[in-house]
Amino acid sequence: MDYIMMLLPPMIKGWTVTLQLFFLTLCVALPIGIAMGIARVSRLKPLKWFMEFYVWIFRGTPLLLQLLFVYFGLMTVGLRMERFNAAALAFVLNYSAYLAEIFRSGIQSIEKGQYEAADVLGLTRFQTMTKIVLPQVFKRVLPPIGNEVINLVKDSALIYVLAISELLRVAKNAVMRDETFIPFIVAAVFYLFMTAVFQQFFKWLETKYNYYH
Amino acid sequence: MYMVQALDIYKKFDELEVLKGVSLQVEKGQVIAIIGPSGSGKSTFLRCLNRLETIDSGTIEIEGEIMVQNGPGGKAVYRSEDTIFRLRQKMGMVFQNFNLFPHKSVLDNLILAPVMVNKVEPARAKETARVLLEKVGLSEKANNFPFELSGGQQQRVAIARALAMNPDIMCFDEPTSALDPELTGEVLQVMKGLAVENMTMIVVTHEIGFAREVADQVIFMDDGIIIEQGSAEDVIVNPQHERTIAFLSKVLMAR
Repeated sequence: MDYIMMLLPPMIKGWTVTLQLFFLTLCVALPIGIAMGIARVSRLKPLKWFMEFYVWIFRGTPLLLQLLFVYFGLMTVGLRMERFNAAALAFVLNYSAYLAEIFRSGIQSIEKGQYEAADVLGLTRFQTMTKIVLPQVFKRVLPPIGNEVINLVKDSALIYVLAISELLRVAKNAVMRDETFIPFIVAAVFYLFMTAVFQQFFKWLETKYNYYH
Repeated sequence: MYMVQALDIYKKFDELEVLKGVSLQVEKGQVIAIIGPSGSGKSTFLRCLNRLETIDSGTIEIEGEIMVQNGPGGKAVYRSEDTIFRLRQKMGMVFQNFNLFPHKSVLDNLILAPVMVNKVEPARAKETARVLLEKVGLSEKANNFPFELSGGQQQRVAIARALAMNPDIMCFDEPTSALDPELTGEVLQVMKGLAVENMTMIVVTHEIGFAREVADQVIFMDDGIIIEQGSAEDVIVNPQHERTIAFLSKVLMAR
C-alpha cells in the first residue's frame, strides 16, 4: 500500500500528460473531422479526392509511424517541434482521418428524402446541412465516435516513443526500477477508470438522443 | 394563364428514356390525377415540375413564368437560381415516404421552413401551424415526434408542412402508396378537403377511386408518354385505349 502511495504522485503527473493529449486531440480533431467528412461528400471533385487521399494516408499507416515521422522526419528537414506538440499534431492528423470517415458514412446514411424535403421547402444547402442533416448524423455516429474516444485513451500510450512521460511510460520506468509489476496494474486501473468514465458519458449521450427514432 | 404548363418534356436517366414528350396544362383550382403503371414516368414527370429532377428538353412555366425552356441547341436551359427558387416556392410537395424531419416535433416540422426561409416570426408561424394542424385533424399531436405517429398521421403532417409555405399548387407523389390500406382514407379525406377549397393539385396516385371522385382531369401515362387524358368519366369509366383498359382492369381487380 505504501508503495502504491509512493507511486501515485509521478503517475498522476503522467496521467495529466495523457489527459492533455486526449482532450487536445479530441477538441481539435472533432471539428476538423466534421469538416472533412462534409468535404468527403462534396460536389467539388478535387476537394473530395484530396480528402480521400488524406484519409487513405492516415488510416493506411500506423499511428506509431506517423508519430515518429512528425517528430523525427520533420526534424531532418529542419522543422523542430516540442515533443508533446509533435505528438499532438500526429494524433490530430490521424484522428481527423478516422472521424472524417465516421462523419462521411453518417452523412451518407441520411435518406435522400430528407434532402429533397428540405429542398422543396426552400432551405439552402447550408441550412439543410446544419439544421436537418448534421443533427441526425450526430445521433447516428455516437456509437462509433464512442469507440474512437476509447481508442484514443489507449492510443495515447504510444507517445512514449517520443520519450514523453505519459502514464504508461512512468509505469514502465517504475517497473524497471523497482522490479515489480505493481505499477503496470496501477496504470491499468487508471486506463480502466478513464474508459469507464467515457463509456458512461456516451451511454448518457445516447439516451439523451433517444427522444426520437 | 396556366398555373403549370409543361410542353414536350423529355428526360433520360443515363440511356433510359423515362419521359418522351409529355405535356400538361393545369388551370387554377384544377385537380389533375396522373395514373399509370410503375415505371411509366409519372413520378419523374411530377418531380420535373419542381426541379427535383432536371429535364433534358422542353418547357416548364409556373404561373406564366418560364422556369426552363429549350435553348438554341434544343437542350433545356434553366433560368437563374433566384427565379427557380421563386417559382418553386409556389409549389408544395408531398412525398410517398412523408420525409418528415424525425428530430423535430410536429410543430417544429411545420414552422422550420416558414421561419428559416420566409423569415416569419416564430410566434406567428406557430399560430399558422396550429391552424393547419387543426385542418388536418392533428391539433393534439403538435408536440409529438414523427415516430410516435401512424403513417397516415405522418402524411397529414407532411401535407400541413407543405401548406405552411402557403403554396398555390400542391404536388402529391403517390401520397398513399406507403400506407396501410386502412390509413389511406384519412389522407385522401384531407386531400379532398383541399380540392373543395379550390387548391390547384397535381396528384400522382394509384387510388383510382380518388381520381374518379376528385380529379377534374385524369391522365394515364405509360412508357414515358401520355396515353389518354380527359375527364375522370372519359379516362376511368370509358377508357378508349387498350393500355388504359388493361391497366384499369388490373388495378380495379386488385381491390
